[in-house]
Amino acid sequence: MADAANYMCPWCKHAFDANSSSCPACGAPVDVRKLATKSGWNELPAIKDMAKIQFGQSFCQVEGNFVPVADFKLTAGDGVYFAHHLMLWKDDHAQITAMPLKGGWKRVLAGMPLVMTQAVGPGRIAFSKDKPGEVIAIPLNVGRTMDVREHVFMVATHSVAYDWFNPGIWYRTRDDKNVETHYPIGMFMDRFSAAGKEGLLLLHGAGNVFVRDLQPGQSILIKPTALLFKDTTVQMNLHFEYPSGIWNPYGTWSVGTVWSNRYVWLRLTGPGRVGVQSNFDKIDDLGHRLVDFEANATEVQW
Amino acid sequence: MDPIQRIVCTWCGAQSPTAAATCIACGAPLDVKNVVSDSGWRAAPRLRDMTELRFGNSTCQVEGEIVPVAEITLGGADSIFFEHHVMLWKDQNVALGVMPLQGGVKRALAGMPFVVSTASGQGRIAFSRDAAGELVVMPLHPGMELDAREHAFLLSSHSIEFSYVRIQGLRNILLGGQGMFMDRFITRDAPGLLILHGYGNVFERKLAAGESILVEPGAFLYKDSSVVMSVETQKLKTGLFGGVGMNLARMTGPGRLGIQSMYHHHHTE
Repeated sequence: MADAANYMCPWCKHAFDANSSSCPACGAPVDVRKLATKSGWNELPAIKDMAKIQFGQSFCQVEGNFVPVADFKLTAGDGVYFAHHLMLWKDDHAQITAMPLKGGWKRVLAGMPLVMTQAVGPGRIAFSKDKPGEVIAIPLNVGRTMDVREHVFMVATHSVAYDWFNPGIWYRTRDDKNVETHYPIGMFMDRFSAAGKEGLLLLHGAGNVFVRDLQPGQSILIKPTALLFKDTTVQMNLHFEYPSGIWNPYGTWSVGTVWSNRYVWLRLTGPGRVGVQSNFDKIDDLGHRLVDFEANATEVQW
Repeated sequence: MDPIQRIVCTWCGAQSPTAAATCIACGAPLDVKNVVSDSGWRAAPRLRDMTELRFGNSTCQVEGEIVPVAEITLGGADSIFFEHHVMLWKDQNVALGVMPLQGGVKRALAGMPFVVSTASGQGRIAFSRDAAGELVVMPLHPGMELDAREHAFLLSSHSIEFSYVRIQGLRNILLGGQGMFMDRFITRDAPGLLILHGYGNVFERKLAAGESILVEPGAFLYKDSSVVMSVETQKLKTGLFGGVGMNLARMTGPGRLGIQSMYHHHHTE
């Protein structure tokens, strides 16, 4: 059991008196070992059923373990914003309104939610996502900024500033007639920062969630759709690999460039923290001929 | 063992012998406290792997914890009914039949199962649904009426009457996220066992008379028939074509209300 007077959460680094069974800042249990794979990934400690996370005068209770619910009790003056389709229930007291977002048309074209909704206390409101997985609680200290892949965000407190940007991760293919541009991590990424006041950010990872801290210059290849979040210091670029000696769609066995079995990777280069999910979406890549890609992308033909 | 002493299950209220580890009626673990969130939702008890419960002369064993299987051992003259596509496997000597349903064409048009199957005879038969979630075991006492959203039903003992109710109001049908009908399960003089499948985690609360709460329509799982559902649209102004509307189901007591945390989102207007 941890020392009750001097305990630092291994997940969010919040120091507290560990009289409760979970970290009051991120909900991580205090009585479990830090689980790390031999390859260096730390497994996110699953938030215990009914664990409470405090922010301001309000708190969030995480309920369930398959498809967890984030159940907020907001006091007067506290508020949260969220992607509106994630709201599970609310009482009559919690007032919800639309939050103005810049670049509405671009967001619509990119398939991102047009409406970000906000709720203010006093009242209760709860959120969940339609995939088995884990709720990731990230307490943002003042000055900290986090980049999040689209559709991973659940809810954030009002003190967290929201922005979005083009990560510049794309490639272009051509079949007989059409040229198509692909965005393996989406056209835009969400960016959350705590400028003048600390805040709480909740994400949802499908399946299990793992994080690692990359050293300066250290890099790793991941499936683009497995990315959940990263520090802003972590750089990204695409990497294409072509296995050798496999079937070529043009009719011959080939050791040359083979379009149909292309592996599309996202290279993450430190320094900084990155998070991945184990239940990632399949990339919609039909293997058409690659004609262009972002400036930093690399290729390997095995 | 003292034959008088009993443990009362905090989930279903049934009494089990003091030596029992799980409730004999619903399978809920008896050694855990009633888990209730600060906001008043009660988590459905996570059934332990291989938990066994009894109904009539038959038993049900719950196997697995991610996509749980309900394995029924039919005894005596017991029989059960179920949606035919949820059957996982069965013994050869378990006889299958079809339960006559009223309004079959209407059900087919509404996307509900046209055929509800029955199984009888001594033997084993097992059921599961195609998504991660929880089995909600609901022993129904005589005189109860319970409504469940379409396709939440897994199986039921034969002593329960199966019916369906048309959801009232065009607005509730179009925006309520549950189609045109809800399944209704009724017990008359005899108790029965009903098993539902909830996607993700399942939570229940008891609404007092006149008390209401707003839920995402796709999250509704079951309710006592005394709970009234109506759809409300919350307008969200965005400045782009004036805004969008968020449809929410207002559930008003008295009675129990069950929700699931993994739901089908029903789009805004």
